Amino acid sequence: MLAEHRPNQSGFAETGDPGVTEERMALPNPALSQIPDSYKYGWNDPEATSLNIAQRGLSAEIVAEISRFKGEPEWMTKLRLKAYRHFEARPMPNWGADLSGIDFQDIFYYIAPTNKAVQSWDDVPDYIRRTYDKLGIPEAEKKYLAGVGGQYDSEVVYHNIREDLEKQGVLFLGTDEALKTHPEMFREYFGTVIPANDNKLAALNTAVWSGGSFIYVPKGVHVELPLQAYFRINTENMGQFERTLIIADEGSSVHYVEGCTAPTYSTASLHSAVVEIIVKKGARVRYTTIQNWSHNVYNLVTKRAVAYEDSVMEWVDGNLGSKVTMKYPSIYLLGERAHGEVLSIAFAGSDQHQDAGGKIIHAAPNTTSLITSKSISKGTGRTSYRGLIKVYPGCERSKSTVRCDALILDDEARSDTYPYMEIDEENVTIGHEATVSKVGSEQLFYLMSRGLTEAEASAMIVNGFIEPIVKELPMEYAVEMNRLIQLQMEGAVG
Amino acid sequence: MTLTQTASALDADAIGRISDRLDEPDWLRALRGRWWERASVTPPPTGQEEEWRRTSLDALPRDVELLLDAPRLETYLPPGAAEAGVILTDLRTAVAEHPDLIERLLGQADGPGSHAHFWALAQAAWTGGLFCHVPRGVAVDGTLVARQSIPRADVAYHPVSLVVAEEGASVTLLEEIVSPDGAAGWYGGIAELRAGQGARVRHASLQQLGDGAWRVGAERVVVGQDAVVTTLNAEVGSRVTKLGLQVLMSGKGGTSKVLGLLAAGDDQQIDINTIQDLAADHTTSDLLYLSALYDRAHASFYGITNVRHGTKQTSSYQECRNLLLSPQAGAEPIPVLEIEANDILRCGHGATAGAIDPTMLFYAQTRGLDPDAAERMIVRGFFEQVVARIEDETIRERVLSALAHRIGSTEEQERAA
Amino acid sequence: MTALEQTASRFVTVARAGDVEPGTVRVVEIDGRSLCIGLTEDGEWGAIDNVCTHDGGTLGEGELDETGVECPRHGGRFDLFSGRVLALPPVRPVNAYETELVGDEVQVRLE
Repeated sequence: MLAEHRPNQSGFAETGDPGVTEERMALPNPALSQIPDSYKYGWNDPEATSLNIAQRGLSAEIVAEISRFKGEPEWMTKLRLKAYRHFEARPMPNWGADLSGIDFQDIFYYIAPTNKAVQSWDDVPDYIRRTYDKLGIPEAEKKYLAGVGGQYDSEVVYHNIREDLEKQGVLFLGTDEALKTHPEMFREYFGTVIPANDNKLAALNTAVWSGGSFIYVPKGVHVELPLQAYFRINTENMGQFERTLIIADEGSSVHYVEGCTAPTYSTASLHSAVVEIIVKKGARVRYTTIQNWSHNVYNLVTKRAVAYEDSVMEWVDGNLGSKVTMKYPSIYLLGERAHGEVLSIAFAGSDQHQDAGGKIIHAAPNTTSLITSKSISKGTGRTSYRGLIKVYPGCERSKSTVRCDALILDDEARSDTYPYMEIDEENVTIGHEATVSKVGSEQLFYLMSRGLTEAEASAMIVNGFIEPIVKELPMEYAVEMNRLIQLQMEGAVG
Repeated sequence: MTLTQTASALDADAIGRISDRLDEPDWLRALRGRWWERASVTPPPTGQEEEWRRTSLDALPRDVELLLDAPRLETYLPPGAAEAGVILTDLRTAVAEHPDLIERLLGQADGPGSHAHFWALAQAAWTGGLFCHVPRGVAVDGTLVARQSIPRADVAYHPVSLVVAEEGASVTLLEEIVSPDGAAGWYGGIAELRAGQGARVRHASLQQLGDGAWRVGAERVVVGQDAVVTTLNAEVGSRVTKLGLQVLMSGKGGTSKVLGLLAAGDDQQIDINTIQDLAADHTTSDLLYLSALYDRAHASFYGITNVRHGTKQTSSYQECRNLLLSPQAGAEPIPVLEIEANDILRCGHGATAGAIDPTMLFYAQTRGLDPDAAERMIVRGFFEQVVARIEDETIRERVLSALAHRIGSTEEQERAA
Repeated sequence: MTALEQTASRFVTVARAGDVEPGTVRVVEIDGRSLCIGLTEDGEWGAIDNVCTHDGGTLGEGELDETGVECPRHGGRFDLFSGRVLALPPVRPVNAYETELVGDEVQVRLE
C-alpha cells in the first residue's frame, strides 16, 4: 500500500517563498566578518560606532533600535515596524524543506561592527580548512572567507574599480549607505518587487535588514566588469539579512556576482536575504550566485526581478552548501518581448537539502523564458526542483521551456521535481521536460578503463553533467566549481 | 413503501438499510459498516491540500437523492468467455452468485490517499457496480463491455467497479457510464483493478456523464509480478471531474501504461491526480494524458511518480500535454517526481500547454480544409498519440465515436477533402 | 456631462464620512459588488475593486500607506485612485472608481 503522501500544502505557486516553522535550536554567536583595521579608503561608514544590542531575539523595540542606530528616515523605521508586525502575524506554510531546526528567538539580529577578530582560525571546522588547502586558496583569503579577521588585498582592487564606475555614473554602494545618499531613488524602488508581507522570511528581512548591495546603472551604460559582492569591504558581506536592490536603467547592462565556491563558514545558522531587481526597457541584468555555506546554515532567500519591454534578466544560481536552502529566483516579465532565464545548479551531499528552482510569470505578450536546472544528490542528500511557469491571459505568443535534469549518485540519496504550471492563455507554447538518472555504469567503466579512479571518473561525469551551466560562470568560479565537485566526489570533504 | 435517501443524510443506520434492502449477507453488512466508520473519521478535503487546491467542492450537489435502485448493467461477453469461467456481472448479482469471491476481493484495500474520504464513502454506500473476474490462465479473445446508463441527472450514485484478472489471465474490458444532461448530480464511482502474476489486462473507462454531473472518482490499479496492464480513462462528459488514480507496481517486472484522453468545452473543469508508485524492481510505468480544451474549459493535472527507496532498474515516464483551443481555456499540468532510489533505468516527465502550431493550421487549410475542419483534424492527430496505444479495436472505435462531437471523424475528413 | 449622462453615470452612496478613519480602508458592498474604499491622511477619498488580482485577497481588509492599498495576503499594493499596481506580486491593475464626499456621504460612481 502506498505510504502516506505528505501533501505539499498551498502557497508555493502564489508567492515568494520560504516558510518556516518555529522550533528550538541553540545557536552560537553569529558575529562573523569584521572591518579591516585601517579603513584607508573609507567612505562614510554608517556603522562605525558601536551598538548595544547584546541580546538575542526579536521585538518591535529591537527593530526600532536598529533603525534608530542606523540613523534612518522615518519612513524606513515605519516600514521595518510594519514588516515586523507582518512577520509576527503571518502563519507558517508547511511546504518545502524541513525547517524545524530554526529558533527565531535565539538569534542576534544585529551585530555591531568591531575591529577585533572574534574567532580564531582554530574554531573553523576541519572539513572547511581541508577544502581550502586542497583548493589552493591563499592564506589571507582563507581567513577572510572563514570569517576570521585580517587585511584583504581586494581593498585595493575595489578602489580602482570604484573610480571607473563613478566616471560612468554607476552607483555601487552598500544598501545602508544608498539609503542615506540616494533616498528618493531608494524609496521609489525599495519593496516594490518584494513587499514586506510577501512571505514570512521577506517580512523578517524587511524588519531587520542590514547590508547588501545597491546598484544603479544609468541609461545606456554597459558595465563590462562583473561587480562582485566581496569588493565592498563592509561588515555585512556575509550578513544574515542582506538586502540588495539593483536598478538597470533603459538600455544598460550589468552582471553582479555574489558569493564564492569556497565553503563559507558562518556561525549564524539563519541567512535570509532579499534581492530585488528592476530591469528597465532594453536593459540586461545577470545575477550570479554561488552559495557554499557551511552545513549548519539555513539559507532561505527571496529573489525577484521585474523585466520590462525588450529586456533580459538572467539568474545563475549555484547551491552547493548549507544544511537547507530554499530559494526560487523569480522573474516577472511585465513588458513585451522581455526574456527571462534561470540557470540553476544544486548539489546536495549527505544531510543536505537543496530545495531550489525558479519562477517565471508571463504578464505581457511575446515574452519568453527558459529554466534549466541541474541537480545532483549524493550520500543521503536530497535535491528538490520547485518551479512555476505562470501565463496570464492576453500574453499571446509567449514561449517557455523548462528543462530539469537530476543525477542521483547513491542509494540513500533522493531527488524530487515539482514543476507547477498555470497557463491561462491559449496562444502560447509552454513545455517542461525532466529526467532523473544515475551515473551510467558503461560510462564509468569506460573512464576507469582509461586509468581513472572511480571517484575521478564520477567527478568527470558529474562535471560534464553540469557543464552547460558552469560555462556561464565567470572563469575563476567555473574552475573552482569543478575542483570542488571533484573533492565532493572523493568524499574528502563534507 | 418507497425508500428515499439523500446522499448527504447518510448515517450508519442508512447504510444498514441499504444492506437490508439488497438482502445482503452479514459479512457484507459488516464490511459496509467498517467502511462507513472510515468515511466518518476521514474528513472530506478542505481545499488546502495540494491535490484539492485547484477545484472547489463547494458546489458539489450533496443533497440529491441517493440512487437506491442501480441502473441495469448491460454486459457483453464474447463467445466462449462465460464457459471458460469469466464472470462479468453487476455487483449485486455477484454478491448473490459468487459470495466467496466477492468476500475475498471486495473492499480490502485503500484507494489513493487524496481521495480517501470518497473511497470510503463509496465502499460503504454503493448501490450498484460491476464485477469482472477472469480465472487463472484464462485468456479471453474479444472485448468485454459493461455499460451503465443512469436514468436521472439529479441523483447521487457511487458504484464500485471490481476487476480482477488472476494469475496468467488475459482480458480486455471496456466500461462505459452515461447520464442525462440537465440538473446537477453526484457520481462518486470508484474502481479497483488487480492484475495477478503474468496477467495481461487492457482496460478502458469511457465517461459520458451529463453536463450537470459532478464526478468525484477514485481508482486503484495493482500490477502484479510480470503483469502488463494498459488502462485508459476517456473523460468526455460531466461538469466537473475530480479523479484520483493510483497505479501500484507491486510485483517485480510489472508494466503499466496509463493513458488519458480529455476533451472538454463549455465550462467543464477536469482535475486529475495520479500516483505512479514504483515499489518493486524492474517495473515500468508510462503515463500519457492528453487534453483538448475548448470554450472556457479548464484542465488541471497533478501527477506524482514515486520511485521507492531500494528499488532497482525501474523505468517511468509521465507526460501531460494540453492543447488550448480557445482564448479562455486554461491548463495546469504539474507532473511531480519523487525519486528515492538511484538505480534507475530511466525516469522522466514532460508537460506542455499551448495552441495548435499556426503553421500546421495554415498548411491544413492550404489542403482545402476550412479552419474548423483543419482544427479538428489536427486535434485528432494530437490524440493519435494515445489512440495508437489502444490495442483493442472496439475500445478505439468507441472512444473516437464518443469524441467525434468535438474532434470530428476520419470519414468527415475524407468527405471534406 | 449632459443631464442624461449624469443620470446614467450614477454616483451611489456607499458609506458615511465617519465610517472610515483617516489612513485606512474598508470593505463596502453595494449593488452586488464588493469595493474597497479609503480615506488618506490628506483627507482624500478613493475606491477600488475589493479583490486583489494576484490571489483574490480582500483589499478592504488591508492597510493604506499614503495612497497605496496593501493587500493583506501577500503585500501587493494598488493606487487607491487609479488602481495601478504599485508593488508586486499582482501584475494586473484593479478598477478604480471616482469617489466624492457629498456632505456627509461618501459617493462612488459605478459604471
